[in-house]
Amino acid sequence: MRRNTPLITLLTGAALGVILLIASMLSTPSKTPAGYTAGATPAPASSAATQPPPASATATPSPASPSATAPAVVTAPDKADYAGRVQGDGASVAISIHNGQAIAYVCNGSAIEAWYKGTAVNGVLIMTGKNNAHLSAIYDFGKATGDVLAHGTDYRFTIGIVHKPSGLYQATAVVRGATVKAGWIVLSNGSKVGSLESDANAAAPSATQAPDLDVATGTAQDGNVVLHATMVSGATGSGF
Amino acid sequence: MTTRQDALPPAGANSTAAKLVVPCLIGALVALTLGIYGRLHNPTGVAINIAGFSSPGSVKSWLATAATVLAIVQVGSALVMYGKVPRVTAPSWIGGLHRWSGRIAFLLTVPVAIHCLYALGFQHYSTRVLIHSVLGCAFFGAFTVKMLILPRKGVPGWVLPVVGAVVFAVLVAVWFTSAFWFFSTFGIKR
Repeated sequence: MRRNTPLITLLTGAALGVILLIASMLSTPSKTPAGYTAGATPAPASSAATQPPPASATATPSPASPSATAPAVVTAPDKADYAGRVQGDGASVAISIHNGQAIAYVCNGSAIEAWYKGTAVNGVLIMTGKNNAHLSAIYDFGKATGDVLAHGTDYRFTIGIVHKPSGLYQATAVVRGATVKAGWIVLSNGSKVGSLESDANAAAPSATQAPDLDVATGTAQDGNVVLHATMVSGATGSGF
Repeated sequence: MTTRQDALPPAGANSTAAKLVVPCLIGALVALTLGIYGRLHNPTGVAINIAGFSSPGSVKSWLATAATVLAIVQVGSALVMYGKVPRVTAPSWIGGLHRWSGRIAFLLTVPVAIHCLYALGFQHYSTRVLIHSVLGCAFFGAFTVKMLILPRKGVPGWVLPVVGAVVFAVLVAVWFTSAFWFFSTFGIKR
């Protein structure tokens, strides 16, 4: 009997793991496709709902999706957050997707920055911002790849999924009659960049470096004004 | 018979190898299964969460930290059991301490691993993440090997300390690439 206790330990751990896995699957909203490997049969319920397979299959050359087993499985999430550096490291970009809507922010921690709004459908992102700023990308469960134009500067990017507390933060405040709007992008390595528009309602807002964001408290001190940042997260829906 | 042959008897070596090969194969299979699942499964970004914490990251960091502290207890109690600590004789309860701290530590790591595998998956977008993904899977393989070797009789004395040391080292590396990173990046918070 004593001989078997290590085995019991192992089996207890395995059973706990299976229980938690099942609980996770049950608690995951069916909208978030639970396309877990599904050896021979792709999860039938989740794939049917939102995705016409041909468009998404061609739009996302995704190495993450097991193409051999499940070619028609959903390839793009309904809710996701992406963040990372653009090619050449000149700026950071963050994209949040929530049920077809998308919010994005590009920022070099100084004058080049822009907010974008748009749609995310079937793995394709189309977004626009002020001053002809626009962003287009394809996205899947692992990454978003695309092109963004901000302040006349064109960046290409491939950025990965991030999870809270990494992601996009936004704060607005009214200071002496002008709406101040700050944005920060917190990358998965913890590094932050942020810019601050001193008059966000202007047709062509100009930006400067944002004060440092304390991610733990969600605050930043701008002179004698305390900015309260909220997360723009597609995963949780906050900021949408 | 020379002493040299006595020191390396082929039959003995074979039986030792035979005793170790099955646990090692099963352990490798466990690690591979986790890794392949983590790679093929589409990460959902969310999994079941534990109330009272600010984020899944902090839950996992605290659970992993608790497991790592217990793993240090593991090494300490093992050293005492093996009589490696000068002027300390092993008390009668040391075996119980070793077993129970190990069991609890292992069970604490399970929810962390499930969240990792289900919500995040096996990733490689940075060195830290790659090391964490590989060693996270390896940890459960190594632990399986240790548990399967433990009840076997006639295993050479060096095997358990070596396997135990591997399990400990891998766990600490997994902790450094996750919880330590989390706390040092975002601050120590609940």
